Amino acid sequence: METAIRKHKKPITVQKVLTKSAFYLLLTVLCVIFLFPIFWMVMNSLKPHAQIYADMNSWKTFLPAFDFGAYGELFTMFTYFGRSILNSIFYCAVTIIGVLIVNSLAAYALSRFKFPGHKVLVTIIILLLMIPVETSIVPQVIILRNLGLLKGEARIIGYLLPGIVSPMYIFQFRAFFLGIPKELEEAAAIDGCGRLRTFFRVIAPCAKPVFATVAIFTFMGQWNEYVFANFMFASYESLKPLQVFLQLVNTHNPKDLACVLAALTFGTIPIAIVYIFFQRWIIEGVAFSGLK
Amino acid sequence: MENVEIAENRVEDVEIADQSVQDILPSPKKPPKRKRAYYKLFGKSYSFADTKVGLAFLAPALVLGIIFVVTPIVISLSYAFTEADIYNLGELKWVGFDNFVKAFADDPLFWTALKNSVVFTVCVVPLQLVLAFGLALILNTNLKGNTFFRWAFFVPVMLSLAVTSMLWMNLLASDGIINNLIVSLGGSPQGFLSDPDQALFVIVFISAWQGAGYQMLIFLSGLKNVPKEIYEAAELDGANKVQTLFHITIPAIKPTFSFVFITMLIGAFRLITQPMIMTSGGPDNATLTLSYYIYNQGVVYEGGVGYSSAMALIYTVFMSAIALTSRKFLEKDNTI
Repeated sequence: METAIRKHKKPITVQKVLTKSAFYLLLTVLCVIFLFPIFWMVMNSLKPHAQIYADMNSWKTFLPAFDFGAYGELFTMFTYFGRSILNSIFYCAVTIIGVLIVNSLAAYALSRFKFPGHKVLVTIIILLLMIPVETSIVPQVIILRNLGLLKGEARIIGYLLPGIVSPMYIFQFRAFFLGIPKELEEAAAIDGCGRLRTFFRVIAPCAKPVFATVAIFTFMGQWNEYVFANFMFASYESLKPLQVFLQLVNTHNPKDLACVLAALTFGTIPIAIVYIFFQRWIIEGVAFSGLK
Repeated sequence: MENVEIAENRVEDVEIADQSVQDILPSPKKPPKRKRAYYKLFGKSYSFADTKVGLAFLAPALVLGIIFVVTPIVISLSYAFTEADIYNLGELKWVGFDNFVKAFADDPLFWTALKNSVVFTVCVVPLQLVLAFGLALILNTNLKGNTFFRWAFFVPVMLSLAVTSMLWMNLLASDGIINNLIVSLGGSPQGFLSDPDQALFVIVFISAWQGAGYQMLIFLSGLKNVPKEIYEAAELDGANKVQTLFHITIPAIKPTFSFVFITMLIGAFRLITQPMIMTSGGPDNATLTLSYYIYNQGVVYEGGVGYSSAMALIYTVFMSAIALTSRKFLEKDNTI
């Protein structure tokens, strides 16, 4: 008995110590590569422009000067910088709400109700998954112009509408709904629950993981979106989302590196907060997407 | 996918069961006549209520989908055979297959863009895959400081594409911190993004740097789901670490592996934002990718909508082929 227990405790060997230290060395080197750019960005956003270049040749380049001037300058020099962050948050919120409602309802219809053409629609959706989205920017612009959604502030709607419906998300929702037992809805129906109420009160709570996953991916996609916004808001400074606005700061002449780094740092704060607050959901969502 | 099939099978089972019950039980009374709840179409019966509610639920997605998903495809398909300008679409000139001929025979830039996309994909996918999988393997053991490292590698994922691009642009500038470091260590300053031979590979590095933490997380959750007993059994059989990795770990997380591989492949081929911000496709078109060229032709250049649509079609066929073959190839011997 005793020997059996002893055997379970593995002895510490030279080889083991070596592999372990090799792992730590590798992790530390990679860690430096992964973190030093971000660390440098934050530290140097706390310095005046001239000092960034003066410090560049010494170790001081990794030390902050705690000069918040660049942040102040950012907001005075670029009147719409704060607004651009709000724009981004607004665009994200609208897109998430739209995506969740429209796609989940469609997926529910395709997973529960039999009507003429529902099988054809499912096939079409699977085929549409193959088509790369960015090739449709040009035709989308043509459609938006015909709908009058490229005029003035209407372009906000034009910018957001095409991103709402997504074959990918309908597919994900449907796969999840098919796994929910039908008895739940039958019970709800017996209790006199209407179809729409059944969906929001019975199905949606059961499908929280898929709603969370889709919400997170929509958020990440919309927050990162650059190409379409860059086109849509090219001459509308006050409507630009953050990502596009940052390029204004970055390419501003004369260049103020402190200001650029302050903008990049400040622009990362909202999404960092989201990641920290929703880390459990995000990790689950990421894991969920990989387990399909 | 399996879920879908099981659920559909079950639905049919239930229907069969219902029928047999009706057959066996003699109905004591004829049910009272009421409004017909079912109708037949092409030999299949549907309920009115289901049709009404189903279509109502589907309506918003259907309308938006027809306008913004299906119509663009139809437009692309039809414009691909014409000469058109995005600012003057009234005049369309039918040119047959000229746009396709132009892409393959007369336009060296199309080939440059295609080559850049392929080179980028071929470089970034293995690099990022090995990095992410290696990190996940190391962090899946019980090292001290596990959580810290996991977060450290995930931090770049939190930066947006635009922030990453602009940050690295400044880091790699001719008077930037990295060139300063190289010079102070005795090297000669590098062109990086302004050197046609380096620019694309710099973008490969930046993409892997930003994305690896994300795939690491997916791999970690995949590794967590491998039952511990298999490892114990392998250890009893005297398998060493390398054997365990290739014969147990990798086969066990193969579904995760193929998912990550395919999404990465497609994502890499879509590259557009980073070159748009950092290099505008330059220097010397060294970072002009296919999706960027399609965008430029359609939106930026005059008179390119037709040509852009033709290239978009080629691109779609290419991407679908990649997605389908890689899926086939990866799922062929997928036993677990």
